[in-house]
Amino acid sequence: MTYEVKLPSLGQDAADTATISYWLVEEGDKVKEGEDLVEMTTDKAAFIVPSPKGGVLIEKLVQEGDEISVGDVVCVLEV
Amino acid sequence: MQTRFPEWIRRSWASGNDFSFTRGLVEDLSLHTVCQSARCPNMAECWQRRTATLMVLGNTCTRNCRYCSVPSGKPEPPDPEEPLRVAAAVRDMNLKHCVITSVTRDDLPDGGAQHIADTVRSIRSLCPETTIELLVPDFEGDEHAIEIVLTSQPEVFSHNIETVERLYPAVRSRRYTYRMALGVLRQGSVHRPKPIIKSAFMAGHGETKDEVRQTLCDLLEAGCEAVSIGQYLRPTPKQREVAEYVTPEVFQEFEALAIELGFQFAVAGPFVRSSYRSEELMQTRFARERMDVVTG
Repeated sequence: MTYEVKLPSLGQDAADTATISYWLVEEGDKVKEGEDLVEMTTDKAAFIVPSPKGGVLIEKLVQEGDEISVGDVVCVLEV
Repeated sequence: MQTRFPEWIRRSWASGNDFSFTRGLVEDLSLHTVCQSARCPNMAECWQRRTATLMVLGNTCTRNCRYCSVPSGKPEPPDPEEPLRVAAAVRDMNLKHCVITSVTRDDLPDGGAQHIADTVRSIRSLCPETTIELLVPDFEGDEHAIEIVLTSQPEVFSHNIETVERLYPAVRSRRYTYRMALGVLRQGSVHRPKPIIKSAFMAGHGETKDEVRQTLCDLLEAGCEAVSIGQYLRPTPKQREVAEYVTPEVFQEFEALAIELGFQFAVAGPFVRSSYRSEELMQTRFARERMDVVTG
């Protein structure tokens, strides 16, 4: 079963866009729930997005340098 | 847009069930939080711990500081029901210690002091065991307004000095002065029963270590007993640029210096904010002994 990892909202007035700075997991790698998945930056700080589920990262849908918004799908996991 | 930060300027962008609980509570009760308005990088961590720093008197500030992303403009009149809703949020979050802050309201005759005091009393009524930290604006130095707030007897009376004296004109709204901020703290320190007096400032605006030392000395002289020092992080490109990312080692030096100079409680670090993990202050022996004196 596949699972789409989306950038979650941090609240109405908080940061709602971010730029992917680098991936910490490669396609084909196993990840555990809560493990660091990808780093992104806002204007204010760098943020690590943890994996919401355990599985295998089968597809990255955004690349380093891409700007993404809350709700955008970041990658797909096989869970 | 800056794309890379020092490795120590990194947080988790996570939002689990407890985060959703906090967000739902804030939205359902139509409350404002400084976590959101200031785009705090600690927000995910704090909200997942079911804590938030609630901001009363609306979400529009009458001043326009160059580091702050809280909207500035003409605010709405105070909502008389807000103190009750804040108290309900404190109850529902089951907080042992809460931090209540406010936008600056120069448009109101008392600067919003009575509304802030009403909020404290509403929390006392609904959550008598909860200790309260008030992080207040300067009320333009109006001693009567500050007295209104103090008579509501918060356990911690906090006013942020924000930066060193030399950088005030560059960092803050012109209506703030360094000496006025010290005066607010001083008035708190002579009030009886005396709350714990706390302040905070941000490093990274271009201050020197000597200026940090002088600021700490000035705060002590004003009766301040607790201090927190964090890294200024630019909320959006509209705000002032970061002059320097202070290393964790230098923050450790600042923390040690504060204690050496005479503070009872000091915390410094890249993500330290005035209300970040503020309950730790209340767990110190100093705070417990002070509360024993106040409550008899």
